[in-house]
Amino acid sequence: MITIVDYGLGNIGAFANMYKRLNLPTTVARREADLDGATHIVLPGVGAFDHAMELLNASGLRDPLDRIVADRRAFVLGVCVGMQILGDSSEEGTGRGLGWIGGRVRAFAGHPAAGRLPLPHMGWNDVVPARQTRLFKGMENYARFYFLHSYFFDCEQREHVLADADYGFPFPCAIGCRNVFGVQFHPEKSHHWGASLLRNFAET
Amino acid sequence: MTARGIPNDVDTMSNTSNPQRPYRICSNCIMDTSDTNITFDERGWCDYCNNYHANILLNWHTDERGARDIEAIVEKIKLEGRGRDHDCLIGLSGGVDSSYVTYLAKERFGLRPLLYHVDAGWNSQQAVNNIEKLVDGLGLDLFTEVVDWPEMRDLQLAFFKAGVPHLDTPQDHAFFAGLYNFAARNDAKYILTGANYSTECVREPLEWHYHASDLRQLKDIHRRFGTRPLRTFPLAGIFKFRIYYRFVKGVRVVKPLNYVPYVKEAAMQELVDRFGWQRYAHKHYESRFTRFYEGFWLPTRFGYDKRRAHFSSLILTGQLTRAEALERIAKPAYDAETIAQDFEYVATKLGLTVQELRDLLEAPRKTYRDYRNDMALIGLGTKVLQRLGVQRALIR
Amino acid sequence: MLRPRLIPCLLLHQGGLVKTVGFKDPKYVGDPINAVKIFNEKEADELVVLDIDATVNGVEPNYKLIADLAAECRMPLCYGGGVRSVEQAKRISGLGVEKVAISAAALADPALVTRTAAAIGRQSVVVVLDVRKTSGFFGRGYQTFTHNGTRPGPQQDPIALAAAMEAAGAGEILLNSIDRDGHMKGYDLQLAREVRKILRIPMTVLGGAGTHDDLKDLFQACGVVGAAAGSLFVFKGQYRAVLISYPSAQQKDEIGSAASSLVTTFG
Repeated sequence: MITIVDYGLGNIGAFANMYKRLNLPTTVARREADLDGATHIVLPGVGAFDHAMELLNASGLRDPLDRIVADRRAFVLGVCVGMQILGDSSEEGTGRGLGWIGGRVRAFAGHPAAGRLPLPHMGWNDVVPARQTRLFKGMENYARFYFLHSYFFDCEQREHVLADADYGFPFPCAIGCRNVFGVQFHPEKSHHWGASLLRNFAET
Repeated sequence: MTARGIPNDVDTMSNTSNPQRPYRICSNCIMDTSDTNITFDERGWCDYCNNYHANILLNWHTDERGARDIEAIVEKIKLEGRGRDHDCLIGLSGGVDSSYVTYLAKERFGLRPLLYHVDAGWNSQQAVNNIEKLVDGLGLDLFTEVVDWPEMRDLQLAFFKAGVPHLDTPQDHAFFAGLYNFAARNDAKYILTGANYSTECVREPLEWHYHASDLRQLKDIHRRFGTRPLRTFPLAGIFKFRIYYRFVKGVRVVKPLNYVPYVKEAAMQELVDRFGWQRYAHKHYESRFTRFYEGFWLPTRFGYDKRRAHFSSLILTGQLTRAEALERIAKPAYDAETIAQDFEYVATKLGLTVQELRDLLEAPRKTYRDYRNDMALIGLGTKVLQRLGVQRALIR
Repeated sequence: MLRPRLIPCLLLHQGGLVKTVGFKDPKYVGDPINAVKIFNEKEADELVVLDIDATVNGVEPNYKLIADLAAECRMPLCYGGGVRSVEQAKRISGLGVEKVAISAAALADPALVTRTAAAIGRQSVVVVLDVRKTSGFFGRGYQTFTHNGTRPGPQQDPIALAAAMEAAGAGEILLNSIDRDGHMKGYDLQLAREVRKILRIPMTVLGGAGTHDDLKDLFQACGVVGAAAGSLFVFKGQYRAVLISYPSAQQKDEIGSAASSLVTTFG
């Protein structure tokens, strides 16, 4: 069962809607018990890193999710800030992330190649898969998605980077390690490319 | 509902209006007893097939004679249109028939049409794209009549509540009334339509598709089930259509597709290749409502499948074999998932919940006779036109 | 690299879509839900929906309609019209709308922008500046207005106001030319350039687009920004027949390429 985590942030309805149009049923998880039977978990998120971690920690879903990930009982897809919190920490705040994929979230503002570009990085950008992955099946040559963020995920290990996008410099916009994936862009708002990615995730 | 999206308790294969009559299908086309007034001869041929051979075929010329006939009409149109911005009006829905007429009018006949489109609030993306491609590709002018959506919605909802089969009357009526009223107002003498024998020689029975031009019926249903006045909605009664506009205002309707060979598949491909025209899944699917109505509502609620008439027309004109038609009609017009999504969309648009729309699907079935109508008068008019040889298709 | 955005802008008036000229004479364009559905199927980059009655009439946004519209969008949706409080912004955001646009209320109280940004995230707050050229002796000759162009906004010139709104926490500025609205004779490029220069955040320009070339001109002048348009995507031909259109993927690439030479920086 595709399960969308509702810990107070992100456009739950948009994910549910996308999957509905793909004729794939979904449920929403607000409590630990809602995670039973989850095979594919979508972790949305918008706004600030610290705020997202606070809400997730307070939701009662943090520990069950840690266990599910450690036991590899389901696949997880973090979206936007939901991807950023997969890492260890962020320049945006002081909180600790989930640490499921090694990396630190950094500001575009501090980066020499992007520091003078308008922020946030907002709009449609081309996404280049780093190698063949299930997530980008059917989009190996070309894909574009909608981005809306001011921080990017600086991945510790290059092999965890599934795709890059370019905003002054190439940065990881999709990451993956074992059963955990993350995308910086918004597949739920990226037309047929987003629909394909979400379906590919569900078929993982 | 079953996987096909059809409620289990509606028997769509038998005759919902006349359970005494055993099921029978024509041996030549595929019209059957879901048209409860159908008759068969000793060969097993239905009255549509016989009418086609007796009345239509003999007077339908798409060879040199047809070419000469339409050329003569075109010359008249050009002559009378001299000095004016446009010489004719074409009602364009974005569907294949009106699209092809538009193409012929400009490229084959050298006419200067004004394209007229009625936006009833249900345009599909393909329809809008196709109109745009024709306007740009042929360099033509367009006029759009946008029907007041709250009025259209209210009238459509009234028809749903009336429980009758002919739910497409609001759209159909708005289309024709808009077109004719516009022609009369602007002194346009010639209207070109996409009506054609090639794909429409078998017309759906009135039982399935009652006259959208019966203003009396429309007004009665609106009076009983509507909630807001029809202030701007395009309206025109049968007298206006057939008598006043024709004989007093001198508006003439021309059906160019009946004078040239018109093979639907080839015509569509030509439009695709020339203009980037987009195909539809089936006839009339330029309107989202019509797709839902013809593909799901009508077959599910009443057992009437309009594809039966359309495929039968194609069989008679040699564009489809009976075997192919039977195979296609056996499959639902579209899949259960799309039906479910359309069901929700239609409910949302009409301001209903999905349950409310479902209740209407299962409400008692009515016919046009349950409400005021001008059938007697229209029937008389039809007979007169049939006698005069003007009306050739079978209408009953 | 980031692409410039092409954004249809739809105006809601008495529950239906309309198009104005100079913010006047609303012409009926049809049902909002079907229009949004068509733009979604044409894969529009983003969509802006503005209710032009809500502020003037002092009424609540039509939340049911907003929810119905959001359900049809597989691209970001921005809603504006009658938003005066953080609660309203949160509610609209909760219906699945990516961005909330504020105009009159923001100009009256910039702290509202700050509070709203704190509540729903800065990236989701758009401030709309409706601007008209004025023939005055002072200032640069532009003035912001609210309430459909009927009430003058603060005396500050719009460029300084844009900067102030950014400082207050806006995530995007939507610059709307009242004079050019509906005329389809091109954007006010001079104003757009000046605002683009002083802004760090993204900007979208609205008012005047009549052809694809007008969109290109904007990108040439300002780089990667949002080009919003009403008439261009809703009317066709000399009779302004209502017909929804949107550039194809190929046309978008061609139009967008006008922005590539200019690396947009601020300051």
